[in-house]
Amino acid sequence: MTDLTSTLETISRTRTGATVEFRGLQRSFGATTALDGLDLTVEPGELVALLGPSGCGKTTALRTLAGFERPDSGTLLVDGEDITGVPAHRRDVGMVFQSYSLFPHLTAIDNVAFGLRMSGVGKAARRARSAELLELVGLPQHAGRFPHQLSGGQQQRIALARALALRPRVLLLDEPLSALDAQVRLTLREEIRRLQQQLGITTLFVTHDQEEALSMADRVAVMRAGRLEQCAPPAELYEHPATAFVAEFVGVMSRIPARSGADDGTVDALGRTLPVHGRLPGAAEVAGGTGEVDVLVRPEAIEVTADGKGTSRIVGATFLGATTRLTVRLTDGGEVMTDVPTHAMATLPVGAPVTLTLPDRPVLVDRHRRGNSGRDGS
Amino acid sequence: MSAIQTAGGDSRTRSYGSKAGLGPPRRRVPRVAGWLGAAPLLVFTAVVFGLVLGTMMVGAFTTPESAPGGARLTGANMSASLHGPYLTALIGSVKLSAVSALIATVVGLPIAHVVVTSRFRALREAVLAASGVLANFGGVPLAFAFVATLGNAGVLTSQFHLLSHGWNLYSFWGLTLVYLYFLIPLMVLTLTPALEGLRRQWREAARNNRANTFRYWTHVALPILMPSLLGGYVLLFGTAFSAYATAAAMVGSSVPLVTMQIADALSGNVLVGQGNVALALGVDMVLVAGLIVAIQLPLQRRSARWLA
Amino acid sequence: MARLTTPRYGRAAVLLLTGAYFLVPLACAVAFSTGVGVPGQHIGFEAYTGIFTAGGFTDSLALTLKLATATIVLVLGLLVPALVTVRLAAPRLRTLVEIVCLLPLVVPAVALVAGFSAVLRWGSDHVAGTPLFQALVALQNPDFPLVLVLAYTLMALPLAYRTLDTGLAAIDLRMLVEAARACRAPWSRTLLHVVLPNLRGALLNTAFLTLALVLGEYTVAAILGYQPFAVWILAISGSQAQMSVAVSVMGLLVTWMLLLAVATAGRARRPKETS
Repeated sequence: MTDLTSTLETISRTRTGATVEFRGLQRSFGATTALDGLDLTVEPGELVALLGPSGCGKTTALRTLAGFERPDSGTLLVDGEDITGVPAHRRDVGMVFQSYSLFPHLTAIDNVAFGLRMSGVGKAARRARSAELLELVGLPQHAGRFPHQLSGGQQQRIALARALALRPRVLLLDEPLSALDAQVRLTLREEIRRLQQQLGITTLFVTHDQEEALSMADRVAVMRAGRLEQCAPPAELYEHPATAFVAEFVGVMSRIPARSGADDGTVDALGRTLPVHGRLPGAAEVAGGTGEVDVLVRPEAIEVTADGKGTSRIVGATFLGATTRLTVRLTDGGEVMTDVPTHAMATLPVGAPVTLTLPDRPVLVDRHRRGNSGRDGS
Repeated sequence: MSAIQTAGGDSRTRSYGSKAGLGPPRRRVPRVAGWLGAAPLLVFTAVVFGLVLGTMMVGAFTTPESAPGGARLTGANMSASLHGPYLTALIGSVKLSAVSALIATVVGLPIAHVVVTSRFRALREAVLAASGVLANFGGVPLAFAFVATLGNAGVLTSQFHLLSHGWNLYSFWGLTLVYLYFLIPLMVLTLTPALEGLRRQWREAARNNRANTFRYWTHVALPILMPSLLGGYVLLFGTAFSAYATAAAMVGSSVPLVTMQIADALSGNVLVGQGNVALALGVDMVLVAGLIVAIQLPLQRRSARWLA
Repeated sequence: MARLTTPRYGRAAVLLLTGAYFLVPLACAVAFSTGVGVPGQHIGFEAYTGIFTAGGFTDSLALTLKLATATIVLVLGLLVPALVTVRLAAPRLRTLVEIVCLLPLVVPAVALVAGFSAVLRWGSDHVAGTPLFQALVALQNPDFPLVLVLAYTLMALPLAYRTLDTGLAAIDLRMLVEAARACRAPWSRTLLHVVLPNLRGALLNTAFLTLALVLGEYTVAAILGYQPFAVWILAISGSQAQMSVAVSVMGLLVTWMLLLAVATAGRARRPKETS
């Protein structure tokens, strides 16, 4: 890896990343709809993570871009050029699959060189370029090994090198880390991100692991039932979710019953009047009146104090290291998650009556849902 | 040799062994009992096989006891089995087996591919079951079906006056046609596990790397399948080589086959006292078959490793 | 994805040609046996209706079924304990058992029968008058020739071994046995109530393929001079050509449907795979 900069220069002497646009993509398999009008634009050089529960269409979106699926309707544009009808083997995109995609009868270096061979690149040039790429992914010494002689992490590095060998305009990663051990996953995650930034290649990354998406991506596109719910930088997604689904799918959210104030844009929750910073779709119809609503709060934003006269009660505690997550039952039966420093646990035993306090900050409001409670969104 | 395949294959069997020695109940298995379970099988094969193969070897290398001077060591039987009509028959068998196995391999691959990738489960099950029947049940019924179809009085023969066009079911190519009827199903059964082991990711990765369908087959699928194809070819060769019933049922066949020679010699149809030459021919066949298995086993192991 | 990569017409053509190649002879055989396809022949189903009353049919079929039953019992009785033992208690025997089971592959049926007949001939010359002679006679009893059971068992070993071994590989035998033992089940009950039920599919498959092998086996029986089913078909072909073809067709179809039933039964217990 010492020679990395020069290697990188040769590799990045390609066109810089391309713009990718999904326009109204529709695709159904029999009765199931995988894509239901997907619209998404990925800027040049950007890494966008497609995140969502299984069956939300994120993999179908990626495979459509790679050319393995044909959309029922809609168009795909790369740098403004319509590639919807281009067959997979003539698209300028590199793809890394979930696992086991290396050709078992070829050595690591021959796997990397495969695309070059298919493009008619001469043998010497092929070997030189493949060696460069193996260097880039940190496995030059494994050039002669067969896939079954490599670990899972090494196989995925080779697969990454193979996907980059043809200097594609777009890189597609289909849950490339999901079959790996936790430790390998972490290092490879960082490495992919570093490579992607250095090469400046437009990248789409499918994952169902929100931590992976939030830590790697420039923007995260949350999908649900074949549609885009929200596409935003990780922090914005976390702080200002556009829909209740995003709010509760990304991170943990607690619902606290509240009463919408008069017409002044405030809500009353846990004995406080708070300003509203956003209303989720569906909460709008109760905005004007004094209807029942829920405020959505992250566990770390709620303060818990031991209070003999408190009406809420701690019903569970989960040790998370520096913090401990408490489950608190409210008077109306709803449950709320709150995080407290673990050292504060001495005064907060399970069963203790407590009082919950919200900070004096604007809150997110959604329409009231019965029988709700804090929910783990993963 | 026809009975070797089911659709299951043996690619999954290697994951065991590493788990040995984990559980506490193992201590309660008495060591002796461990051996006892396998003993009947080992004893049975040792006795029956030992007796049969032993007698065959001894017979092949001695003169008959009825001969003047009794049983003496001789190489005459083996040498006779490799000369004259016996050699012709041996070569005829090898030629027929090599050609029919080659055709069955080339034809069996696309059929197996279509069957494996079919979306219709019922079609798959029906074809695989039919293959199992044809490959294992084979023999006499097949021969009769063909005699009724393309024999001298067969339905197609008389409908289309094939005899006047020079058609003869009892020739080399006629026999090949009949052999294909159980060799192709056997190939389909052999290739099914291997084709199921071809991953979708490989095809997609190939396309992603600018390989069109043709290139995918020539550069990825066929090289990966090659051990299975070669192994299957060898298996088919062996099956055809040792087939007897089909040829026997097609009475009047003019193709010389080593299996027919053995049967004739055993039943004393030709010359009395040829029994020991029949044993020598048997030894020839065992040697050929042994060679075949020796080629096949390493090929299969290699394929199992790739497709595991 | 199939619709992107595989040409539809190619698939259809392959299926059509295959179907024609394999169905035409069957159809012609039916036509032949009913007299439809043969000019100047009387058309009718006598060849089929007459099967059961034909001389020798019941005898040969009964003999074949007896032989098949005995062979299946012997094959399973030898293989199941051996394979279970190899996986649980004596993994080092594995290679030996595998070699022993695959050994019959190098001995074609004709060579095997040559060896058998040599043994029988040698036996009748040398053991006359000793108690072994009785055993030799029993082996060749024309009502129930044990020698055929021995030969068929050897011939069925490779196939039976692969089928059973695949079945065993599909279940975690060690875990099952340990779980049963942890529930204080004695060894006998563990085998009977835990191991065998989990092998049901593989056992059924093995038994069935052995049955197919015995039903269709001609070589050994014919050369040793017995007349089970396959030999009988050939024997009547001279005088009753139509019926021999009719019996062949019936045999193929019945075996096919049985195998299909076994496959379906074996699959029904497994949950549907999703991907």
